[in-house]
Amino acid sequence: MNYRQPHASLPRSSTRPLVAGLLAGLLASIPITGALAQDSNGSAAADIEAGQRYFYTCTGCHGIPGYNNVYPTYKVPMIGGQNELYIINALKAYKNGTRQHETMQVQAESMSEQDIINVAAYLASMNSKESS
Amino acid sequence: MIRRHHSMLLAALWLSAFSLSSMAAGNADAGAEKAVTCQACHGVAGAKSVTPDIPLLAGQHEDYLSHALKAYRSGARQQAVMATFAQQLSDQDIADLSAYFSAQDSALRTAKSGD
Repeated sequence: MNYRQPHASLPRSSTRPLVAGLLAGLLASIPITGALAQDSNGSAAADIEAGQRYFYTCTGCHGIPGYNNVYPTYKVPMIGGQNELYIINALKAYKNGTRQHETMQVQAESMSEQDIINVAAYLASMNSKESS
Repeated sequence: MIRRHHSMLLAALWLSAFSLSSMAAGNADAGAEKAVTCQACHGVAGAKSVTPDIPLLAGQHEDYLSHALKAYRSGARQQAVMATFAQQLSDQDIADLSAYFSAQDSALRTAKSGD
């Protein structure tokens, strides 16, 4: 299943509102709206609760304060509250191999695009300071 | 003053030459001066990115930040903008920047299951 990329832009023309309206109407008419609805960034709608459930897998490393990556040795990054699109891009980069980390590549390979969007939304939702 | 800067520079060079790079001690105050460039995108104190594709740095683990900067510098981690900046950084710069950003008030936290 294809999803629109975050920040995918519509054609810049005076017909933009019309196009956006038609697109929204079209999407609303599709039964699987959960997967295909668009948020304000133009990305697939995120399910934060599903992201939270999925994140259980990640807690073995990311859920333990001060947990160390084995080699090279450094603390695995804190990702609670991190910016949403950064997490999405990071997971996609692990998934396609452009960012390399053995464990993260294995994990990301098993994630669907929707899983990635959900987990990113869940993590970003922990940011109480409302960074952009 | 200039002489003092020179001696500090020499000390930094000595440290980076004779110690393992990962062992360079970071100085958060020195990092604050070097972090001016970073804040154009990562926000004041690395705590408010200008766009959501740019990560928050404030409060992130110091050694992870160093690891990331070194990976950008070596090309092991690829991102055009970060590569450009990281290639200008010495090991001491990386240590200082990491010390600075990790010490900043943060919206980041360890995400535990059930949060």
